[in-house]
Amino acid sequence: MLRLTFRNLGANKARFAMTTFAVVLGVGFVVASFVLSDGLRSSFGDLSDEITAGTDLQVRPVSEFGEPVPLDETLVDEIAAIDGIRLAVGFVEGDESAMQPVKSDGTTINSVGPPQLTFSWVDDEGLGAFALIEGSAPDETAEFSMDVDAATSNGFVVGSTYDLITPIGVVEDATLTGTTRFGSANDTLGAVLMHVSLDEAQRLFGVPGTVDEIAIRLDTDTDAAAVVAEISQVIPTYGVEIVDQATLNAEQKADFNQGVDIVGNVLLGFAIVSLFVSIFIIYNTFSIILGQRVREMGLLRALGADTRQIRRTVLGEALAVGLIASLIGLLAGVGIAQGLIALFDALGASLPDSPIIVSLRTIVLALTLGIGVTLVSALAPARAAASVAPMAALRDGATLGHQSSRRRLVVGSTLLSIGIAVGGFGLISPPSSTLNVVLVLGFAAAAVFLGVTLVSPVIAEPVSRGLGWPVAKGMGTAGRLARENASRNPRRTATTGAALMIGLSLVSTVLIVGESVKSRLGELLESSVQADYLIIDDSDAGVTPKLAADLADTGQFAAVTGFRYDEVRLAGFVTDMIAADLSSMGLLLSLDLQSGTLPAADVTDVIVLHTDKAEDMGVGVGDTVTVEFASGDAAFLKVAATYDDDTILDSPIVPVQVFDDAGAAAVDQWVAASLADGVSAAAAQPLIDQIQQRYPQVSIDSAAEFQERFEASIDSALTVVNALLALAIVIALIGIANTLALSVHERTRELGLLRAVGMTRRQVRRMVRWEAALVALFGALLGVAVGLLFGWGVVSALPADFAGSLNVPFLRITLLVAVAAAAGLVAAWLPARRAGRLNVLDAISHT
Amino acid sequence: MTLLTTHLPASETIAARAIAVDKFYGKGETEVRALNGIDVEFQQGRFTAIMGPSGSGKSTLMHCLAGLDRITNGSIVIGGTDLTSLSERQLTLLRRDRIGFVFQAYNLVPTLSALENITLPMDLAGVDPDPVWLDTVISTVGLADRLEHRPGELSGGQQQRVAVARALASRPELIFADEPTGNLDSTSGAEMLDFMRRAVREMDQTIVMVTHDPVAASYSDRVVFLADGRIVDDLADPTPDKVLDAMKRLGD
Repeated sequence: MLRLTFRNLGANKARFAMTTFAVVLGVGFVVASFVLSDGLRSSFGDLSDEITAGTDLQVRPVSEFGEPVPLDETLVDEIAAIDGIRLAVGFVEGDESAMQPVKSDGTTINSVGPPQLTFSWVDDEGLGAFALIEGSAPDETAEFSMDVDAATSNGFVVGSTYDLITPIGVVEDATLTGTTRFGSANDTLGAVLMHVSLDEAQRLFGVPGTVDEIAIRLDTDTDAAAVVAEISQVIPTYGVEIVDQATLNAEQKADFNQGVDIVGNVLLGFAIVSLFVSIFIIYNTFSIILGQRVREMGLLRALGADTRQIRRTVLGEALAVGLIASLIGLLAGVGIAQGLIALFDALGASLPDSPIIVSLRTIVLALTLGIGVTLVSALAPARAAASVAPMAALRDGATLGHQSSRRRLVVGSTLLSIGIAVGGFGLISPPSSTLNVVLVLGFAAAAVFLGVTLVSPVIAEPVSRGLGWPVAKGMGTAGRLARENASRNPRRTATTGAALMIGLSLVSTVLIVGESVKSRLGELLESSVQADYLIIDDSDAGVTPKLAADLADTGQFAAVTGFRYDEVRLAGFVTDMIAADLSSMGLLLSLDLQSGTLPAADVTDVIVLHTDKAEDMGVGVGDTVTVEFASGDAAFLKVAATYDDDTILDSPIVPVQVFDDAGAAAVDQWVAASLADGVSAAAAQPLIDQIQQRYPQVSIDSAAEFQERFEASIDSALTVVNALLALAIVIALIGIANTLALSVHERTRELGLLRAVGMTRRQVRRMVRWEAALVALFGALLGVAVGLLFGWGVVSALPADFAGSLNVPFLRITLLVAVAAAAGLVAAWLPARRAGRLNVLDAISHT
Repeated sequence: MTLLTTHLPASETIAARAIAVDKFYGKGETEVRALNGIDVEFQQGRFTAIMGPSGSGKSTLMHCLAGLDRITNGSIVIGGTDLTSLSERQLTLLRRDRIGFVFQAYNLVPTLSALENITLPMDLAGVDPDPVWLDTVISTVGLADRLEHRPGELSGGQQQRVAVARALASRPELIFADEPTGNLDSTSGAEMLDFMRRAVREMDQTIVMVTHDPVAASYSDRVVFLADGRIVDDLADPTPDKVLDAMKRLGD
C-alpha cells in the first residue's frame, strides 16, 4: 500500500504542489519568526553584556508608579568619596525624540522610524558604553555629538552648526563636536544616539541639579557588599535603589527581548492564521482528488483492501505532503527571515548582524505544525474514502460519501455557539495576561470560523445563486454556467470561500474597530472641545510650560492651559492624573459638570473627578481625598466638582500647582487655547506661526485638523495590520485557484462537450473566472458577516470613551469585498486558461 | 418502395464532402494512417450511417468532418466552406452555428435543465431560437413535460432524446451522431433511431451517424463501410440482413 501512496502523489503532482505551497507559506513564517527572534536575542544578549560590562553598581531612583523622581546631583560626589569606589558618574537621559537635530536642508530626521535618544556625555567608555571616533566630546552649552552612522547617513559634519529642537524650544547653531560609537560595532538598530554635556542635558530636559542614575566602578579587590552598605548610608531611604552589574545586564536583556518578542509574536500570530487558512485548502484538495478516485478506491476494496488500509494510504499521502511542505517551509523560513532583515534595513532600522539560529525547537515545531495541519485536514476525506463500497468500482459516477448535512449542521452550530460564548466571555472579563487573552480569543475565533464553515454549505447554494444573478444576466451563457457551477457543489464553494472568509473577517474587524474609535473621537471632539487651537507635542517627550505661558503673554487669548500627565495613587489605586489650569477650562473644554463648580485660579488644594471615579470612591463635592505621588509626597485635596464620563478627558484633574509641589510631571503633553473676543483667526496666524517656529516639535491644529491627523494615524496603523493579514488572503486565493483547477479537471468531459457544441475558448475562460469570482464573493461576504460579529464584540468590550457605538465603514468594506471578488477573477486566470486550452476530442473521451 | 421515392429530395445537394482526405498520427515507423485517401459525399436531407470495425477510422472520419479534428491532407467542405482553411475559433463557431452533435454518452451539461441544454448552442451564440421550430422539435421528441428537469432526473433514453433535440434545435446544416444508441437498452435505442429517421424524413434534416450496430445502421438511407482508413463499401437502402452480409464480405 505504501507504493500506492507514492504512485498517487506522483500522479497528482501539480495539484499537491498547490497544497504544498499553502503549507510552505504558513510553516515558513512560523520558522522565520523563530529564526529571527533567536538570532536577534543572541546578538542583543552580546550587546547588553558589552553595554553593562564596565558598570559594577548603579544607584537609581525607583517608584511604584509614575515617573521616578531624579536623584539630587550632590549624591554623586558623596558616593564618589566612599572608599573602594574608583569612579561614580551621574547621567541624564532625555525622553525619546526630546532633542531632534535639524539637518542642513532644514528637515528633521524622520521621527516615525527608530528613536532619537540623547544622553549626558561620560568620558569613560566602561561606564558610558560610548567612545569618541572623531572630534571632541560636547562640553559647552549648544554643543552635541552624534553616533557615527546616524551622522554619516543624515549628512551631519563634525565642526558644523545645526539647530536643535528641544523641550525648551529651538537651540540655534549648536556645534557638532564629534562622532561616537556605541559598544564595539555601533549596533544602534538605526537609532540616532546623541550626547550633550551633563549641564546642557539638565538645562534642555528641565532637570537642573538632578541626575537620572549614578554609575559606579569599584576599585579592584574591593568588597562590593561593604561598598553597597556604605552607599546605603548616603542615599535617601525612600525611592532609591542600588543594583549590581548582573541585574543591570539581565534587565537590559529583558528590555531588548521584549521588543524582539513583540516582533516575533506578531509574526507568529500571522503565521498561525495562515496555517489555519491552509487547513481549508488541504481539506478541499484531498476531498476533490479522492472524489475523482472513487472507482479506484472501490476497485481496491473489491480486490480485498480493508477500510483501514485505504485510510492509511490516504493519510500516508497527507503525511508525505506535510513532510515535504514542512521541509521546504523550514528552508523558506530562513529565507523569509533574511528577507525581513533586509526589509528592516530598507526601512532604516538596520538590525545587528545576527547569526542564523535554526534551533531544534524550531525544526520540531515546523515539522509538527506542517505535518499536523496536513494530517488533520486529510482526516475527514480519508474517512470518507475508506467508506467507499466495493461496488463503487463498477458504477459510473459514484461519489464520495459525506457526513450527513444534519450532522454538519449540528456540529457547526455547536462550534459556533461555543466560539461566540467563549469569545464573549473573553471580551467581557478578559484574563489577566495578554497571552491568555490571545489564546482565549484565538480559540473563540477558530471555533467561529469552523462553525461557520460547517454551517455555510446550507446557504452556499441560494447565496451564490443570488450573487450570480447579475452575472447570469449580464454575461450570457458563460455567466449562467458560472453561476450554476458556483452553486452546484455547495460544500466545495463553502470550504473554498471559508478560507477567504478568515482573512477578510479579520481585516473587516480591524476596519470596524478603527472606524468606531475614529467616530468616537469625532463625537468627543465635537461635543467637548471649544478651544480654537490644540497644540500637541508629537515627540511624546513633552514641551516646556513656557509655550503656554508665551501664548498667554501675548494677550490675544481668552484662555490657555497646558495639560500634564502623571501616574499617582488615588484612594489606594494607581491612576493617571492630569494637571491643568482649571479656572480657564470652561472656555476650552466642556466637561459637562455633574456637580460643583470649577475652582478659581488661586485655589490649589482641589481635585475634579469624573463621576464613575467619584462613585467608586464614594466621595462627592466637598469631601477630601488623598493623592500619593511617585516622589513619596502626598496631597489632601477637596473635591470641587465632578464631570461626565463621556468627555475627552478621562482622569482626575488637579491645578498645576499640585504637580509642582509634589515634583510630578513638569512638562505639558498638550496645550489648549481659545482666542480672545474680537481676535480673528487670521489676526492670530502670525502669532501661531511664530510659536510653531520656536517649537517645531508641536502640531498646532484646530479641533477638526486634530481629528484628521488622529484619523490618519489610526489609518496607517490599520494599514500595517491589514498588510500582514494580506498573507492569509493570498493563501486563500491560492486555494481558490487550486479548487478551480481541480474542478476544471473534474469537469473535463463537460468542458469538452461545451467546446464541441460551440462554446468558444474565451467563453470557457470567462465561465471559469466568474465561477471563481462568485466563490470569492461568497467567502468575502461570509468574512464581512463574521467581521461584523467580531467588530461588534470588540467595540462593545472597549471602554466607552474609546469606542462608543459600532461604526461600520461601509464604503471601505464594500471596496474590500469588490477587491476580493476581483482577486478571485485573477486567481482563476491559470485554471481558466487551462480549461480554454483543453483538446476537445481528448476532453470528450476523458474518463 | 413509394416511401423511398417520396422522401428523396428533388435535387441532390451535397451537405458535406471529403476530398482525398488523409489523417496520419505519429511520424516515421510509428505512423498510423487513420484515414487513407477518403473521398465521400453526404447528401443533404439524408440519414447516412458510417460502419466499420474498431480502428477502421469511422470515428476519426466523423470528427474530421465535424471540425473537431484536423486532417493531414486533402480537404473537407461543409456547405461550401473548406474546413482546412478555418482557424480554431472559426471552427468553433462553425460547430456552434452550422453543426449539431449527439455523442454516445455525457451529452448534456448537468447544471442546465433539459430546455436550457436544448437551446445551449443558440444561447452561446446569443441568438433567440425560432419558437415555432423549437416547439416542433420538443413535441416531436416528446419531452414537453420534462423540460425543467435536470439531466440527472432523466432516464438514459430521455437524455439522448434531449441531445437529439439540441442537435436539431438550431436547424444545423448537418448533424453528427457518434454511437447515439450505444448506451441505451434496445427499446430506448429503437425509439431514438426511429426519432432520428423521422427528423430526416419529416423535418428535412441531414444526419451522419457512426455505429457498429447493424440494426441501428438499418434505420439509415445509406451505409458507408470503412476498413483500415479506406472506404470499402457503400450500401443504399440498408436492411439489417443486407448490412450483416456486407460486414461478412468485409471479414472475408
